Amino acid sequence: MKFSIPARSGADESDASVKRLSLSRYSARVGFLFILPWVIGFILLKAIPILAALVFSFTSFNMLHPENIRFVGLQNYLAILHDRDAGSSLFGSIGYFVLAVPIEMIAALGLAALFNSDWLRGKRLLRTLFFMPSIIPAMAIFFIISGLVSPGSGWINRLIIEPLDLPPPAGLYMLFPIIFALWTIGPGFLIMLGAMQSIPREIYEAARVDGAGPIMRFVSITIPMISPAIFFSLVINMITSFGGVALLDRGLPYSQSLSPMESYIAYQMFSFLNLGYASALAWVMFLVVMGITVAIFRSARYWVHFPEEDENVEI
Amino acid sequence: MWKFKRPRRGDVSTLTLRLWDFTGMALLNLFVWLAALVYLSPLTYMFITSVKTSEQLSDPSAPILPARPVMYEYEGRSRYVYYVPTESGERQWALVDSDRSGAFFVDPQNPEAGLIRWEGSWRTLRRVYEPHWEFGNFVTLWERIEYPRLLRNTLILVFLGEIGVLASSIAVAYGFSRFPIPGGKYLFLLLIATIMVPDSITLVPTFFIYANLLDWLRSFTNTSAIYYIPLLLPHFFGSAIYIFLLRQNFKAIPRDLDEAAMIDGASPLRILISIILPQAVPTVVTVGLLHFFNAWNEMRMASLFLGVSRERTIGFSAQAFQSYGFTPEFLQASALMLMIIPIIVLFLAQRFFMQDMVVTGIEK
Repeated sequence: MKFSIPARSGADESDASVKRLSLSRYSARVGFLFILPWVIGFILLKAIPILAALVFSFTSFNMLHPENIRFVGLQNYLAILHDRDAGSSLFGSIGYFVLAVPIEMIAALGLAALFNSDWLRGKRLLRTLFFMPSIIPAMAIFFIISGLVSPGSGWINRLIIEPLDLPPPAGLYMLFPIIFALWTIGPGFLIMLGAMQSIPREIYEAARVDGAGPIMRFVSITIPMISPAIFFSLVINMITSFGGVALLDRGLPYSQSLSPMESYIAYQMFSFLNLGYASALAWVMFLVVMGITVAIFRSARYWVHFPEEDENVEI
Repeated sequence: MWKFKRPRRGDVSTLTLRLWDFTGMALLNLFVWLAALVYLSPLTYMFITSVKTSEQLSDPSAPILPARPVMYEYEGRSRYVYYVPTESGERQWALVDSDRSGAFFVDPQNPEAGLIRWEGSWRTLRRVYEPHWEFGNFVTLWERIEYPRLLRNTLILVFLGEIGVLASSIAVAYGFSRFPIPGGKYLFLLLIATIMVPDSITLVPTFFIYANLLDWLRSFTNTSAIYYIPLLLPHFFGSAIYIFLLRQNFKAIPRDLDEAAMIDGASPLRILISIILPQAVPTVVTVGLLHFFNAWNEMRMASLFLGVSRERTIGFSAQAFQSYGFTPEFLQASALMLMIIPIIVLFLAQRFFMQDMVVTGIEK
């Protein structure tokens, strides 16, 4: 955005600068008019609810008896400390983040690296095929994976375990989060592939002449060059793993979120109508997610190489 | 020591080099195509189960591919055909009657020979199957879940949301990309920050407000349309991630043209419609598609507010299929009917979609 700065030295009050000033004021107003829908939406749908949740979290607000609301201080937060279910669902949420995000990132990066090769045939079809599961509704995925892993008639049992005479595996249900993670790589894969394809070929040629092998080239050219794309996909995957919606919505209701903390908040809210306690839980989750977000953004300065931005080009 | 490395030009003949490259290419293609096959393999379970009959699913010895039991008409009734071991090898006979110590079969090849007595437990015998794809499952399901009605509701919701989200997101992105709004930089950072805010935090108050709003509206009207308000309203304020994508794209469009138009006296809205948008078609299509997929899959708001409504969306109804007591073939058929339209749309629009995700991904 170009700021046309009107003559800074106040002494120079020429006609032209007054005109420019009013023009920039006019366009600032028009611009504000254009962003107004978002500003209103931000206040109504984000700022007020977040603050309201904070206020609720200090009260004993219950949907059944809204008239009995009273201020309870930190009682809800202290209750969380003694609530085993809250603790385990919070760890479950962090656990899913720790499990799913590396799977998504590595699978997407590896796939993008393979797709970057000139030797691969049928790229367009393959790209769509690998992207396709990322838009399948979560319910359909649940139906499919349940059918695969169900003991007895499930296909994993019939096609793999019975013919090979393997002992019945214990952790078959772990396939749920793993398949879910693997079937969510679409956006990250496309973003990283796009970034890889925009790396100038000459850089690779120069490295090849200097004797760098394929692995060396990948680690010291490709990865740093696409680090903004890696960062972007990391953020997207993080949001998704905590049950949020970034780019693509998998269509999981709150009560069945892959992030257990989210389901637990919905459970407290809709089974007990305990809005005060649910708000306190939501704030704990909010702080945890924000903490991880800040950590990721802070870490960016050590490993993300943002392209040099032009002086005149502001955000 | 072995070195697995492409030989240098000059050390070996061109033919060797070509062979080397061909092997590498073949291995790479084999690997990626096989990976795609494995990646999508769970879907074959869905396809195959959705065209099975419930009879086949309840028989543990049935083949894994879609098939139906072979029947034989004898004395006015259909009889199952079994593999029956006899002294002269395995025969395919139809079961007519059974008692404690054995069963009576008839040979479909030679029915005139009459009943054949066989000693042993017929329950251990395997039924004979012939390949059969039961597409009737889809017809049954189509009627049972009122698919056309679900489809209509979902499409109305997608369409209205699409108008709202595109109009508002384009306007906001235009505002952020072209106008010197004081503090615009910080507002934009705030916009990015809202993408990271988990839904749970806004869930409690928004649910409370919508629930009260709907209660209030119910005192005036009894239509199902009011339950769509919570699902549609937020879209009319723009979506942060779409605004981000659109703004990145608008910024990449050179300003010369719109400055020229401005000097000619074109209004800001005019510039947006006749100059910016025509150059941003791929991104707008991408955002439109993203919203299509998201609105199709939307479950969070639907699961909160459509429970009491008669007019449900397809995604929300699917949640209930498991509790309807659907047998596996109907469950898998419903999964297929749930996901088939987004997939068709993806394949039809892949040219736009794939390209633009690639372009917008580059800059953060």
